[in-house]
Amino acid sequence: MEESNTLTLKRFIILAVIAVWVVFAMAPLVWLFMSSLKTRLDLFSMPPKFIFKPTLHGYEALFITTYADGTRKVSEIIGTMFNSILIAGMGTILAVALGTMSGYAASRFEFKAKGDFMFFVLSTRMLPAVAVLVSFHIMYARLGLADTRFGMILLYILVNIGLATWIMKGFFDGVPRDLEEVALVNGYSRLWAFRKLVLPMVKGGIAATTGFCFIFAWNEFTFASIITTTRAKTLPVRISAALGKEGLDWAMVAAAGILLIIPIVVLFYLIRKHLLMGMTFGVLGKKE
Amino acid sequence: MQERKIPRMFSDRAVCYFFLFPTLVLLLFLLVYPFLSLIYNSFFRYSVLRAAVPAKFIGFNNYLFFLTDDYTWRRFVFTGKFVLLAVSIQFFLGVGIAYLFQTKFKGRDVIFTMILMPMMLSPIVVGLFWKYMFNTEWGLVNYLLSLVGLPAVDWLGNPTYSLWATIIADTWMWTPFTILLAMAAFSGIPKSLYEAADVDGASGAFKFFNVTLPLSAPVLIIALLLRLIDSFKQFDLFYALTGGGPGDATQTVSFQLYKTAFQYFYTGEASALGMILLIIIIGLSSIFIRYLTSLGEKQSA
Repeated sequence: MEESNTLTLKRFIILAVIAVWVVFAMAPLVWLFMSSLKTRLDLFSMPPKFIFKPTLHGYEALFITTYADGTRKVSEIIGTMFNSILIAGMGTILAVALGTMSGYAASRFEFKAKGDFMFFVLSTRMLPAVAVLVSFHIMYARLGLADTRFGMILLYILVNIGLATWIMKGFFDGVPRDLEEVALVNGYSRLWAFRKLVLPMVKGGIAATTGFCFIFAWNEFTFASIITTTRAKTLPVRISAALGKEGLDWAMVAAAGILLIIPIVVLFYLIRKHLLMGMTFGVLGKKE
Repeated sequence: MQERKIPRMFSDRAVCYFFLFPTLVLLLFLLVYPFLSLIYNSFFRYSVLRAAVPAKFIGFNNYLFFLTDDYTWRRFVFTGKFVLLAVSIQFFLGVGIAYLFQTKFKGRDVIFTMILMPMMLSPIVVGLFWKYMFNTEWGLVNYLLSLVGLPAVDWLGNPTYSLWATIIADTWMWTPFTILLAMAAFSGIPKSLYEAADVDGASGAFKFFNVTLPLSAPVLIIALLLRLIDSFKQFDLFYALTGGGPGDATQTVSFQLYKTAFQYFYTGEASALGMILLIIIIGLSSIFIRYLTSLGEKQSA
């Protein structure tokens, strides 16, 4: 209360600057949403139209393909969406599960070359996809994993496991060891203590890790653009197919963008309380 | 109480290895072969498209080619320019916004989520949509410039402006990442220090430069390093926004690598350039990780 009374001008300036930033951050997103509801004519009008009659044509174009002879069919995007949900979903769940296990081991036990292990795991986070893509392309072709959902799930576990291990280790470090020690002394098993005592205490960590991993897997393009062609194609690859085409249907691109961001925004809003902690632990590997 | 009777079936050691095993196996399975094949192929003249043509061992020639090639050097110079400009702009903006965001106000949670939203969008969509907004005929950006009396800019057709177009789109998308990290850094500073400064009647600027900045510096440096690495290897945003153009003005090293590998299918050359990129990233990462580890030691000390 005191602040808002005595520092009114300063407070006003701070809020104004924040407001300017919010406008800069949100304007393209609002424009994206508006564009997804425009007709072809409105999309290309100059000056740009801020008030227009909204249509769902962009979304329709996304889901329904109209052929030259006028027949309409549900487009292959349903399959692409299914691929994206399955690949990003499974990739995330498995990365979080494996990261939770290895994060717990790294937090509680001493093992040979632990420092090297953590270094190695974290270095996967830095891996430039483009640099190793040539080799993955060859390996996946030889193993028959090219253009398979299974192969893509493996890749997305790989992309995320380093981050997941580090975030979860940070959260486990924050849980007092006494908790398990007492349980062990009383004859409970380590696994029981892990499942019943420790896991419930790191729910927030699991939520944050899930959010970070999902955003990567859901939006990933570089690997997917080369490894997948038809059967395992994901949404970002599908959208990029619009590139280089003359008379690109921007409403459709915008509609796809809106569809892509919705699950992420919902997820992030749900886990917003755990975000900062997750960031602190995972990216910084830091104990609070 | 039934569970109490269960004997301890696994020793801690067994649990430890059981927990580490899947992660280790997966990483080794997925990384060892690609890494070895990257090194191996980098010494050969080889193309996956012409698998029937036997690969020819040419020693370090692929590496020598890139290291002495003017065109490749220009790609490195452009990449460096982009990384330095984009990352420093994002860093100052991100830290500044995060600092202002320490103020409490109504709806802060919702606004915070809104600020983070650009980073949630797929880089492909970000690239494509900024391309739409930068268009000289119907783009929103030039329209807004014209409203304040500024001349139209050929964002994607002129090499200088297209550098700035990529920087603007990248800044829009990734400043939230710095904001998030800086917020995490600031939240770790004990409130008592600010209260002590308040008692002494310190000004806001004094508090920022003498309390906030020194105490959050380690984390801010980490944010800076992470952004350096990520923007150095960035590919997808360029792919969608400029396609490396106009000409090859905005073609980064990653982009050149992608084209070498999947447009021309020079697998051997691409492997060598991949190794060069990998070595640079590993160098940057080891600085980063060493810094992180030394930080952890200081903390536990």
